[in-house]
Amino acid sequence: MKIELRGRPITSGLTVGKALVSKNPLSFLGGVDPKTGRVIEKNHDLNGQFLADRILCFPHGHGSTVGSYILYLLVKRGVGPKAIVNETADPVVVIGAVIAEIPMVDKIDISKIRTGDLIEVDGEKGVVKILRRV
Amino acid sequence: MKILVKLGDLFGAERLIPIESAHISGVSYKTIGDAVEFLEALAEAGAKSKVRSTMNPAGIDYSNLEEMVRLPELHERQMRIIEIYKGMGITPILTCTPYYIRKPRENAHLAWAESSTVIYANSVLHSWTNREGGPSALAAALIGKTPNYGVHNPENRQANILVKVEADLRDYADFGALGIHVGKILRDETPCFEGLPGSEETCLKHLGAALASSGMTSLFYPCVSCPKSSDHLEKISVDPDDLKEAFESLSTTNESPDMIYFGCPHCSFEELRQIALKIRGRRVKDDVKLWVCTSRHVRRRAEDYVRVIEAAGGKVISDTCAVVTWLKEIGIDVLMTNSAKTAYYAPTMNKVETVFRSLDQCIEAACKE
Repeated sequence: MKIELRGRPITSGLTVGKALVSKNPLSFLGGVDPKTGRVIEKNHDLNGQFLADRILCFPHGHGSTVGSYILYLLVKRGVGPKAIVNETADPVVVIGAVIAEIPMVDKIDISKIRTGDLIEVDGEKGVVKILRRV
Repeated sequence: MKILVKLGDLFGAERLIPIESAHISGVSYKTIGDAVEFLEALAEAGAKSKVRSTMNPAGIDYSNLEEMVRLPELHERQMRIIEIYKGMGITPILTCTPYYIRKPRENAHLAWAESSTVIYANSVLHSWTNREGGPSALAAALIGKTPNYGVHNPENRQANILVKVEADLRDYADFGALGIHVGKILRDETPCFEGLPGSEETCLKHLGAALASSGMTSLFYPCVSCPKSSDHLEKISVDPDDLKEAFESLSTTNESPDMIYFGCPHCSFEELRQIALKIRGRRVKDDVKLWVCTSRHVRRRAEDYVRVIEAAGGKVISDTCAVVTWLKEIGIDVLMTNSAKTAYYAPTMNKVETVFRSLDQCIEAACKE
C-alpha cells in the first residue's frame, strides 16, 4: 500500500518518520514546552504528546508570532519535529521551518493521515507518501 | 533575505515593497531562550535596520527591579538580547502597543510581528501588515521591505464571514472572551463583527488580541451594524451562552489571587485613567500584588494617574508584562486578570492558575474593604 498526497512545497528536504496528527491548530509559543517538546496546550488533542522524531501534521498555526523561534529552538535541542505537514501554512510556522531547516509541505488533506503511520515528506516536490499504515 | 524570498514565493508575492516601519517580537529571554544564538549570528554579520523599528516587551523592567525576578543570570541574558537588537538599529521601545507612541499612516505598508499589534494595526489603524513571525519582521526591518502578499493586497482585505454578536458586551473582559471564542472557530477568514455595542479603541484592542491568540486572524471589521453588502457572507452567531462558556473557560481556579494584573496588551491612557479613578482612595491588600503594565510613553503622559495607582499600593510597570516575565519565580501561583489573552497563555507559559474577571471585579479583589 502506498498513498501519495500532493500539496505545496514549502521548505526542502526529504525525511521519513512516524506521523503525529492533530485536528487542532497549534501555537508553538505557550503550546509546546520548549525544553521537552511536549504539547501542553490546553484542550489540545495532542496534549501530553512529544514532538521529537515525529512528523507533525496539524491544520495550521495560531497565536503568538514568537512561535517561529520556538520551533527553531525545539529542533536545535533535538526535541522538535522532523518535518511539518499543514493544511494551511501561516507565516509564523513557515519561518520557523525555514530557520530550523526542516522540510515542510502544506495544502495536504491531513485527515488522510493517522497518528503512527510511517510517512515520507518530500519538501522539494510538496509530496507526502503514506508508506505504512498503523 | 532567504526568509523573505521564501515567504514571497509561497504566498504569491510578485515583489518586495518598501515598509514604513517594523515591529519585532521575540525580545523576552523567557520566551525565546537560546534562540538568541540566531540573533547573535545576524548581528555578527553587521545587519542594520533600514526603517523605524520597535521591540516587543522584554522579560525585565530594569527600573522596577524590586518587583522582578532576582536571578542575575536572567538579567544579563535579557540585557544581551536588548543590546543585540539595539546594535541592529532597533529602537528600544519595549512595548506591544507601539501605536500609542506613533501611529502608522493609514494604508501604510508595515512589517509588524506580535499578533495583537498586527491585528490592531490592520483593523483599528487601517495600516497594512501581515502577521509576520518574529524573524521575518526582523528580516524586513533589515532590508526595509516585505513581500507583497496577503493583506498588503486590497482584494485580500475583504470581510468574508459575518459574526453576529447576540450577547451583551459590558466591558473589556467580555470583548476578550468574544475574541477567544471566535478565534477558535475561524481559520484564515476575515470576520466582520455585527452588533458590537461600540467601537471604542481599547475594547477593540482586547477583542483583537484575543482573536489573534486563539486564532490566526490578522484583520477584522468592527461594525455596530454592517453594510448591506455583507448579506451574502457566511454567518456565525454568538449567543449569551457561547460568551459565558468562553468567559468561564479562561479561569482555571476560583482561589484567591496573589497578583491582579492589568496591561495585556499594554494599557492605553484610557485604561490607566479608569483604573486610577476606581482605585483612588483605596488600598491594595498587603498579601496581593497589583501590576499595571504600560509603555514608558503612556506612563509619562498619564503620570497623574500613575501616582494615584502607586499611592494605593499598585505598581505601574513598563518594558515587560506578566506573560513574558518570570511570575512563578517571584512567588505568583494564582493570577487574576481582565485580559483574555493573558488568561489564555499564562497557564502554559507561566505555569500559574488564572482567574478571569472584569476590571471592576479585579479592582475589588485587589483592594481592602
